Amino acid sequence: MKKNATPSRKDERLLIKQLIAGESQAFDLVVAEYHNIMLSVARAIVGEAFADEVVQDAWISAIKALPKFEARSSLKTWLLHIVSNGAKSRVRRENRQISLDDGWESVSADKFDQTGHRYDDVFVWDEATPESLLANEQLQSVIEKAFQSLPAIQRAVLSMYEMEGIKMPEICNILDITSSNARVLLHRARTTLHHSIEKYQDN
Amino acid sequence: MAECKDIAEEASNLLDGDLPFRKRMALRLHLLYCSCCRAYVQQLKQTISTITVLRPQEKDTTDTSALAKKLQEISKNH
Repeated sequence: MKKNATPSRKDERLLIKQLIAGESQAFDLVVAEYHNIMLSVARAIVGEAFADEVVQDAWISAIKALPKFEARSSLKTWLLHIVSNGAKSRVRRENRQISLDDGWESVSADKFDQTGHRYDDVFVWDEATPESLLANEQLQSVIEKAFQSLPAIQRAVLSMYEMEGIKMPEICNILDITSSNARVLLHRARTTLHHSIEKYQDN
Repeated sequence: MAECKDIAEEASNLLDGDLPFRKRMALRLHLLYCSCCRAYVQQLKQTISTITVLRPQEKDTTDTSALAKKLQEISKNH
């Protein structure tokens, strides 16, 4: 499946030049492209209440620092690191902690017998492709709702990995979590969304 | 021996190719004889493809064009 394409280095250099030159289209483009994922990272680290402010501050720092941007990473990753640093220092100031939700099971434990075998049958879904699943508007809104109900840190890992095509080690750096935590969060997010589709299919 | 529960827990890592060889083989072997788990892994795969097509986003009420304008001003005066 195609993930969000990162612009080529050449396109990005041009975009950065346009930003430094103050071209309004370039500002519209970067904000439209990156604001949402920056917000996702901020919410994951600092929580809903301070996220907007942290992202606004990150944008301002980024724009001021742009002439010094050395393109060692993509613009997107650079922006996400700025948000992440801002959010982490806000966490320190507010004395908050990132918490991973506990007591979670990928599939409810009562679905397995003592030896770890499933009691129930799992059937292949009739509607096999994403397009056929998404042709159903009701199902679309079920998935959207399930996504919004995920903990912010799961949404952030899922969005960066699935939608933005960011590699796991980078995600771990941005969110300051271990690779095994990131893997667990990704699996939880995917499983919750899977449950939402499964439940809908069963009805 | 891998059981259904192991598949439920490791399905993402299996799909992402992020497991040591032995573990991967044990899970693959289980999938050979368990049609329920094969269907489950298939469903999870379909879920992932569906998410990447649907691309759900953070709820956000920011006026992005106002923000872009504000940043442009800051950049001019910097």
